[in-house]
Amino acid sequence: MKHTMITRNIGPVAITLSVLITFPGFSQENAKLSDPEVASVAVVANQIDISYAEIAKKKSKDPEVLKFAETMINDHTAVIEKVAALTKKLGVTPKDNDVSKKLLADAKKTKEMLGSKSGDAFNKAYVDNEVTYHKAVIDAVDGLLIPETDNEELKALLQNVVAALKAHLGHAEMLQKNMHK
Amino acid sequence: MRSYKVKFINPVVLLLLCLLMLHGCSPGSDQEAEKPAAIEEKRPTMHSVEMLQMKFYPIELKVKKGDKIVFVNHDIVTHDIREESKKAWNSSPMSEGQTWILEATETVNYYCSIHPVMKGKIVVE
Repeated sequence: MKHTMITRNIGPVAITLSVLITFPGFSQENAKLSDPEVASVAVVANQIDISYAEIAKKKSKDPEVLKFAETMINDHTAVIEKVAALTKKLGVTPKDNDVSKKLLADAKKTKEMLGSKSGDAFNKAYVDNEVTYHKAVIDAVDGLLIPETDNEELKALLQNVVAALKAHLGHAEMLQKNMHK
Repeated sequence: MRSYKVKFINPVVLLLLCLLMLHGCSPGSDQEAEKPAAIEEKRPTMHSVEMLQMKFYPIELKVKKGDKIVFVNHDIVTHDIREESKKAWNSSPMSEGQTWILEATETVNYYCSIHPVMKGKIVVE
């Protein structure tokens, strides 16, 4: 019933973005977001991974880590642009909310943790965090949003986004495996 | 009696049908039918590999030497194509909707260097 309510109360873009409510620290009860709030969460979540990548570009000297970070910046920017185009089409303006604020607060801690490390320790911490972060988002999109979505345009976008996230996860795990050799 | 008439007429109809079929299978029409096929054999075939949801479709493509393969990016994100074993060649980055053409000269494994989990193979038979 909860899923039905979400589908009814928020628009297609909102559903797309509400994937992020299942991030660690958020329960399903946090799911009651308006369209503008969910749009904000979606944009923030993508921006957070871009911000991690920007730290990596400043701190890492590992060519593989730098290349991965560049891909994260480019891909998440592309996703944000797609989401922005869809929100514009649906007349939704992103609005700050508790979930996006919590995501930003958690990200601040992660960025502080990354900022405190250097060299190989930084590379490992960055890649480990990328694995964890992408797993959380994939689980939310794949397990909750796609099965609950009726809108074909939204479903197609979700499938493209989750495919990209899975490729990112695979890439991050490759880096992680190489670091442990 | 009626059945006798039917039996009598059928061979005539069959004969007419045979004549029509023989006309249709005359040597002249055979030559015309074979001509395009003979030309077709010499032309390289154009194949396509689609990049969709971070995968190559088909993952393995069988072609003949000289055939051409069009790679088409349908994804939101940018991809490229790079030969895997020796990094002998690569495409330029392809954003959504862009294409790149490769002429098949040998069997190769390839991948997207931006998203290294994306892999494919071209088999030259």
